[in-house]
Amino acid sequence: MFDRIKAIVKKETIEILRDPLYLTLNLFVPVVILILIGYGLVLDVKNIPIAFLDYDKSKLSREYVDSYVNSEYFRFYSFINNYKEAEELIQSGKCRAIIIIPPEFSRNLYKGKPAEVQILIDGSFPSRAETIKGYAFAINYQFNQKLLTHFSEKNRIFINFPIDAEIRAWYNPALESKNFIVPGMLVITLMFYPVLVASLIIVREKEAGGIFNFYSSPVKPWEVIFGKAIPYIILSFITYIFLFLISVLLFETKFIGSFLLLTLATILYLICTIGVGILISTLAKTQITAMLMAFLGTITPSFLYSGFLTPVTSMGFEGQIMSKFITVTYFIDVVRGVYLKGLGFTYYLPNLLSLFIYALIVYGLSIILFRKKVG
Amino acid sequence: MRLLYIVKKEFLQLFRDKVLLFILFWAFSGMIYTSGSGLSLEVKNFPIIIYDMSNSSESREIISKFRKPYFKILAYVNSDKELTQWLDSGKASMAIVIPPDFKRKLDKGNGKIQIILDGTMSMSATIASSYVSTILYDYSIDFLERYKGIDKKFFKMIPLIDEEIRIEFNPNTLSSWFMSTLELFNVITMVSLLLTSAALIREKEYGTIEQLLVTPVRTWEIFIAKIIPTIVVIMVLSFISIFVMLKIVFGVPIRGNLLLFYPVMIFYVFAMSSLGIVIATIAKNLSQAVMLMLVILTPMLMLSGAWTPPESMYPIMQYLSLISPMRYFIDFGYSVLFKGGGFEYVWQDILGIIVIGLVLFFISLYRFRSNFHK
Repeated sequence: MFDRIKAIVKKETIEILRDPLYLTLNLFVPVVILILIGYGLVLDVKNIPIAFLDYDKSKLSREYVDSYVNSEYFRFYSFINNYKEAEELIQSGKCRAIIIIPPEFSRNLYKGKPAEVQILIDGSFPSRAETIKGYAFAINYQFNQKLLTHFSEKNRIFINFPIDAEIRAWYNPALESKNFIVPGMLVITLMFYPVLVASLIIVREKEAGGIFNFYSSPVKPWEVIFGKAIPYIILSFITYIFLFLISVLLFETKFIGSFLLLTLATILYLICTIGVGILISTLAKTQITAMLMAFLGTITPSFLYSGFLTPVTSMGFEGQIMSKFITVTYFIDVVRGVYLKGLGFTYYLPNLLSLFIYALIVYGLSIILFRKKVG
Repeated sequence: MRLLYIVKKEFLQLFRDKVLLFILFWAFSGMIYTSGSGLSLEVKNFPIIIYDMSNSSESREIISKFRKPYFKILAYVNSDKELTQWLDSGKASMAIVIPPDFKRKLDKGNGKIQIILDGTMSMSATIASSYVSTILYDYSIDFLERYKGIDKKFFKMIPLIDEEIRIEFNPNTLSSWFMSTLELFNVITMVSLLLTSAALIREKEYGTIEQLLVTPVRTWEIFIAKIIPTIVVIMVLSFISIFVMLKIVFGVPIRGNLLLFYPVMIFYVFAMSSLGIVIATIAKNLSQAVMLMLVILTPMLMLSGAWTPPESMYPIMQYLSLISPMRYFIDFGYSVLFKGGGFEYVWQDILGIIVIGLVLFFISLYRFRSNFHK
């Protein structure tokens, strides 16, 4: 029994080693992806180009403008002279926000009356628009507080906002997106890369006809499945080591957990993701179909539905259903937990158990599907 | 005429694979539907826990403001240890701590509460904290009005700046509009690269490309015949996507001119298909090609500008993104479909797609010729 598995493992390994370009690509591609996206994907909304339409042109309005320009969130683009220009800047995407200060702005405020400014935000990217709105609100709030203090002192009446929040972020105090993107990317790369690699390994032989050798030999379906999976699990494990080193050494991501725990959990995870690839491979009849299924089924879904960018709890019903199918969902909390929270083994048990069940289902289905064809 | 026959052969090959057709159809309908309806970029049902040490009517009043759809209270805790456990396990993403002397301080005008966020998801944490500020600001005004006897009119008589925020093109910041459109662009990009490349690799693996080459068919005819089915398939399917999924299902207001969108989209598909052919000439088999496509597609999709605007990228990434045709296509697509921008706003994007498309076309033609020379 184990001899037969060993033989299949050996055959697959030889096939991998015989193709040096393929082997190099296997080790090189995930690393390049992690580096490019680790540097490229910046979710902190900063340096937003902003323009001002200042009808007032007073000292106070200038001060108001400065309160935006001096914050790290906005980058001054220009002063503009009319509304049409404002629309055009937003339309062309050169500015993401425009602040319009009305002519009677300072006059009203000096008289002790409220004034109204208008803020136009480019809504084509909704989450960015929400963040910009939040920043604008906060800056305006601070400016108001300054005005109010000044006003209270002058008129000797006491009013201020009675409640204040002290906001702290645990695990990632500066809320740097790097600390959540790089560990997240590690998980995601270890999803689509093994799935893509494994998605071709059985269907390839179906197309070339080599599969009949298996059908006619005494080898059992599960021996074929595992024999084919093992070399690729080892290959993607080597990739994991590279990716881990890059995340810690190059990106200097916070890592306070146990490396051993992460590694053991990753092995379980890789067994799952290779399994997903093999399942696709037993399902598909042609290599093109298998490849399309693997690409369309992993790349964007693992980014969107896994909780990588947005929490699963915020998703709609369809999204939550999708998230259950994606291996990343079960593993991303474990990895972020080990990297940023450094918790003990027990915290991860439910997730690891889910991964284990996931593996059982995926391999079980593959073996059943493979057996059917044998019969 | 000859060209017509080879194109016909390509179509026959494509239509023979029913599963493939189904997957393509699913990509342009089901995938767009789930990403439009299932994903929300705003933070909703943010799981929170409450540690209320004050236990006063005021503290309860504040807590009652943290409600759906933005927040979901999971539990009330009674010790620091419990609080840490909820956050550590990741079940709760935010904790509100109200100190014992809250009521006393509030009456004096300096009430303080503490918000603890799970920073591992920095993007949603930032958004959630901005919700908190809004809630507290509203509560402050409310509080002054009711307990301090300050009339609402009073706020109209003191110097405060009121901001009127208008979000253009998507006033309610609906993620369904954004996500469904983004998914359409993603699918167009992936399919145009994968389909063409795989079709050529298959002929290479089977050796049927040699059979084609010994016929009087010209090299460029084989080349064009490989690209045309991809273009036709994407044209038809994206038409369904735009009119059924985006317009009817999600109600995306298609403001732009589709007569501008379509020709540019076809050229974009052409550019991506050329890239697919370049890959097919480099790779010996589909396994190698998959790796090459992966290293090209993933950064292209993730760094297209939809998640990170070019202005926020590191300078070196900004320059690198200039060679990605998808960067121009995303900008072009959103400008035309969402903002209703005319040619004068998007000519730079169109130019980018055309220049990169032509470069890729000539490289692929060159590679194709030298690879499959008669």
